[in-house]
Amino acid sequence: MATVEERIKQVVSSVLNVPEDEVKSEHSFSVDLGAESIQSVELVAAFEEEFDIDMDEDEALQVQTVGAAVDFISKVMKEQGKL
Amino acid sequence: MKEQESVMRLCIYEDGYENLYPISYLRPVFELRCGRTLLREKIERSLGPADGCFVRDALAAAWREKLAFPVNDPSLLSGADLILVNGRAVFANVEIDRRGPEQVGMSGDEVVYARLNAATLQKLGEKTVGGILEAAAKALPARQIDVTVVKFPWDVVFANPAAIEDDFRALGATGRSGKFADGAYIYGDESQVHIADSAEVHPTAVLDTTHGPIILDEGVIVYPHTRVEGPTSVGRDTLLVGGKIREETTIGPVCRVGGEVEASIIHGYSNKYHDGFLGHAYAGEWVNLGALTTNSDLKNDYSSVSVYINGKLTDSGSMKTGAFIGDHTKTGIGTFFNTGTMVGVMCNLLGSGGPLPKFLPSFCWYFNEMIAKGTGLRSLIDTARAAMGRRGVELTDADEELMKYTYEITKEERDKLVKRDRRKLRVRR
Repeated sequence: MATVEERIKQVVSSVLNVPEDEVKSEHSFSVDLGAESIQSVELVAAFEEEFDIDMDEDEALQVQTVGAAVDFISKVMKEQGKL
Repeated sequence: MKEQESVMRLCIYEDGYENLYPISYLRPVFELRCGRTLLREKIERSLGPADGCFVRDALAAAWREKLAFPVNDPSLLSGADLILVNGRAVFANVEIDRRGPEQVGMSGDEVVYARLNAATLQKLGEKTVGGILEAAAKALPARQIDVTVVKFPWDVVFANPAAIEDDFRALGATGRSGKFADGAYIYGDESQVHIADSAEVHPTAVLDTTHGPIILDEGVIVYPHTRVEGPTSVGRDTLLVGGKIREETTIGPVCRVGGEVEASIIHGYSNKYHDGFLGHAYAGEWVNLGALTTNSDLKNDYSSVSVYINGKLTDSGSMKTGAFIGDHTKTGIGTFFNTGTMVGVMCNLLGSGGPLPKFLPSFCWYFNEMIAKGTGLRSLIDTARAAMGRRGVELTDADEELMKYTYEITKEERDKLVKRDRRKLRVRR
């Protein structure tokens, strides 16, 4: 079973069209991975679909890096009984 | 000694607001624009100043700040003679007196007004508008009158031409006042224009009155290469920046409009600056339609157009029905609306090459053929505040609470479509 981090990287790769092995935890979505504002919104939606969670948009869009997304999504999954 | 006339209170009430979504989410139904004036203004022009109104509880706080009379004050429903008027009635060419015999005026099966004496009110003992109307219908004689009572958003658009003509007659003053440049032209009867003192019509602008009157309110500027066909009304401080303003159009105050508009109502404080077509549509306040935003108002098979009303496809009965766009919605460049599209309030819509879905829930984003949550309520309210601030209008705390309330009541329909479209993002493994 893929880890949360692996699944996040798969989603990022799919949405941002970046090879999965080039997505690193320290990467910023916007600066390093080229996500523009619409793609950031799309990423939030894709994460919600992947993990079957509901994220607060304000909080989710504050998350800047892949690593921070792992922490944030893991927290939301625990709160919503998905982990 | 002459007896003093008893007080005859006029109270305007709203009902049927759900069928008028999205253009009634943030305003009472009687604040809809039809012709140059709002439905309420027509009622007051006909019957005199209102003494109060009754609206949904959620609207009361915000609208107490905007209206000159009490909102939802139950003390108005007793202690004096009373005429209750349905805020969905279009008081154009209407002969109803404020005073007169006790009766219920009906248009088909819609109540237009109920006129009751203080003694009858006391005897009926009802404390709410709904209660009074129900009791009055049983107790008082009914009179059928020829008045349009709008039920759906397209009804407001269909009633617009006659309302413009009636508003033009009510203005009284016709002809060119204001600044009418050499090289500007009136095609047709020159007495069928009302150009206010501070309005300007620039060279090469054409006002065509062959099909009806044209009203240009105070501060309107009609820039070169604009053609305006009557019947059309343009509200104060609006700029027409080139293009074709076709017949049967009302543009409210403080708008910037170009491109092509036909048989539509733009409520006010909205922009459609660039090319693109808006037809048989109602756009609310603080709407911004990006360049080349276009709606269809006619199906290729000329059949009548259906529109989603409260989740159900409802036949408009007309083959010419466009889009209904809620307040504060913004579209990006090249956004296309299908015939009979319903767009909620405070949406952010980006064209994706083809027509958007026929129903877009309030507060959604649309992009890449997907309805999404977007950046959330907070950022949409901040954008609304910024847009209003640019025109010197404050978004009050009460306005914000009304937006939050509307967000909650539209959550279920929005979440359902967001979850549905989110599946398109499933990672294929």
